Amino acid sequence: MAPHHSVFKDEAKLDINYVPRRLPHREKEHRLLMEFFNFLLRFPERMAQRVIITGEVGTGKTALAQRFGSDITSEANKRGVNVRYVHVNCREYRGKFFFILQHALAVFRPNFPRRGYSSEELLSTLVQVLDEENVYVILTLDEFDAFIDQEGSEAVYKLTRLHEMRAGQPPRLSFLFILRTLKSTERLDASTKSTLQRNVISLERYPKSQLVDILNDRVAMAFEPSTVPDDVVDLVAELAVSESGNARFAIELLWRAGKYADAEDAGEVEPECVRKAVSSITPTLRKNELASLGLHEKLFLLGAARFFKGNQRAYASLSEIEGAYAVVCEEHGEQPHSHTQLWKYVQLLSALGILKAEVAEAGTRGRSTRVSLPSVPAYELEKELSAALEKR
Amino acid sequence: MEIEEVFSSKPRMKILRLIARLGALNISDIARRINLNYSTTKQHLELLESEGVLQQRVYGRIRMYRFNDRSPKAIAVQNLIETWEQHNKQ
Repeated sequence: MAPHHSVFKDEAKLDINYVPRRLPHREKEHRLLMEFFNFLLRFPERMAQRVIITGEVGTGKTALAQRFGSDITSEANKRGVNVRYVHVNCREYRGKFFFILQHALAVFRPNFPRRGYSSEELLSTLVQVLDEENVYVILTLDEFDAFIDQEGSEAVYKLTRLHEMRAGQPPRLSFLFILRTLKSTERLDASTKSTLQRNVISLERYPKSQLVDILNDRVAMAFEPSTVPDDVVDLVAELAVSESGNARFAIELLWRAGKYADAEDAGEVEPECVRKAVSSITPTLRKNELASLGLHEKLFLLGAARFFKGNQRAYASLSEIEGAYAVVCEEHGEQPHSHTQLWKYVQLLSALGILKAEVAEAGTRGRSTRVSLPSVPAYELEKELSAALEKR
Repeated sequence: MEIEEVFSSKPRMKILRLIARLGALNISDIARRINLNYSTTKQHLELLESEGVLQQRVYGRIRMYRFNDRSPKAIAVQNLIETWEQHNKQ
């Protein structure tokens, strides 16, 4: 049944293939790319360009390339230059030169026969077709590592030196190579490597503050107003930081959390929705880890689980959890342990990845500990702990 | 060749409609799509080429047929097919 009031305004804006008009914290790299390819807008017949983009998973490599592709194409059209952007994921084609070229050719000749020629013939056909159409192509080879693994130096050499064999004719193909690190290019021979590595743009991992900006942009596009509280955005960003600053993970998590909110007809995305979403992506609650906890560690964790289940906050202070723990102790006829002891439990539970503790500045009164339950749904944790405590 | 001779053949009309719809195609592909053997298809294509309606482009070992962009006859034929098909859709 459809929810009465979906939290989503347009969930397509959270789709993995959606490329927003603005890429927060990648403006500098976008400008640099436009600069590298600037000559293509002014003197396309003179030279071709080769640029490498590197960065870990979820650092915005593909989004940056696609945003750039779309922007440079429209800029070229304004100036009457026929530029096309073609994006190929090499891994989808098992890194095979032949299939990658076939994909590029199909953009211009969709009914070109699929068999009966070699990669070399296909490459020269592609260039011939581009000549016929008088078009300049920026070919992005995403996950280029797969191409290097499969084809090695020779194919890369053929691609990068293509224009030297066509002296006097306009260079039709420019390249954007996307890789996680430059390490995979070490397998290439020295001359291929040197041709390739002239222009490298490295994308750093997003720190939490940048992930928050990215998420806020998407929240504004994809969600109804006031359905995603700031601390939920903060929690999602926090989780993405522990996934190496992976923005794709963050956006997917936000979408899933929205789905859980809709499924429960909650009207807004609560921290618990995020926890459910994260545990649906990775199984985070390992029962044997819970079983190995001591009695008061379990009681403390149960207090935390109840605290987060009982209200819609993503974070709590240590003293708030301490209060909830005291109630649990009373329920089980136990004397609560001291604050110092509880601090040790927090450390242990953080090390196990169940809780997360950060020391936050608390104005003039020194420091305080901020505790969150990042990835285990509170209700699930409460259920497991209650069952474990029953058994004793 | 007179116009009625060029257009009186059902396979030739099928070829023209096919290329109008899909763009450049090679002989085997055309033969398969209109359900005709290779050599007959090739003869029809050669005739349409000699009339200046189609042109062939050679890419290594592959030959592709398409409308001859510079021929007024080709433009007229494409317009005719397009108008006809649009009218039939309505």
